[in-house]
Amino acid sequence: MAEQTLITPEMAEAVGRDYEWTTSYPIETSDIRRWAIAMYYPAPPPSLYWDEAHARSTRWGGIVAPEEFNPFAWMRAEPRGDMGFDTRRPWPELRLGARCPDFRANIFAGTATTYTATRMRPGDVITSVLSLVGYEEKPGRVGLMLFTTTENRWTNQDGERVRTARSVLIRYL
Amino acid sequence: MIDLTTLRPGLEIPTISRPGDYQYWNRYAAVNYEFAGHHMDDAAAQHEGFEAAIGMGPFIHALLHVLLREWAGEDVARVIHVGLRSRRPWLRGRTLIQGGTVTAVREAAGERFVSLDVWGDDDTGERLFTGEAEIAFPAGSLPPP
Repeated sequence: MAEQTLITPEMAEAVGRDYEWTTSYPIETSDIRRWAIAMYYPAPPPSLYWDEAHARSTRWGGIVAPEEFNPFAWMRAEPRGDMGFDTRRPWPELRLGARCPDFRANIFAGTATTYTATRMRPGDVITSVLSLVGYEEKPGRVGLMLFTTTENRWTNQDGERVRTARSVLIRYL
Repeated sequence: MIDLTTLRPGLEIPTISRPGDYQYWNRYAAVNYEFAGHHMDDAAAQHEGFEAAIGMGPFIHALLHVLLREWAGEDVARVIHVGLRSRRPWLRGRTLIQGGTVTAVREAAGERFVSLDVWGDDDTGERLFTGEAEIAFPAGSLPPP
């Protein structure tokens, strides 16, 4: 009897490939302010994220975005009109053109993000490149689970790396 | 703001907490465009095998940055690395508590690097995740290690 697997030959073939290239709209100060409000609610956000006069007095020399800020929410500049992945099916295979099972669930398993000293600032345009790092299967309470690791590399308009994030998604039937 | 005289391995940093309810989750959803059904609707989460709606993993990860900056000071320190491995979901109705412990302090290239183990529990004491983090201060801003 063949061993059960959730990894199709097309999926295995796609490991290591880049599969999404996106560019953000220029970051607005209001994007940073709103992000910070959501992060610090119900406390007011730190002045660094909304008060230019205060921010100029810090080591950063002006308003910067919190490190975890996402400039790709609410549509991307390129591809034009792209609203981002479907949150019901944030599956690399859909962009890689690889046949995959019809999973019932997508669960965040973890992430590790490393930041450079280059901060995101108002006016910056960020480019993201996503790649499929690999798959791992493990038995679980809900049956066989597929762990998918992706890597997301962000650079700014000057080609400076801003951050690198590896994330793991759990899926099952 | 950090107490400069206490920066050493073993130091536990002040915790932060967030109730697991839509007042908090929807604010994050609104800025991150993150509207998956299992974050917004108990029934959708139950279909996937959870007891109730679950908090967003990226929000939990983002809050670790807040934990670090609330302690270190965002005007001075910078976050270098934040990693987490999820163990259990953050269920609606449960309060998330995050904390960390300094594991190492080193100095290089004009900066003071501080490594930490970080964690998140809910208000019943269940461990939701473990992880690791690193931040850096300008070396001149702190006393010698």
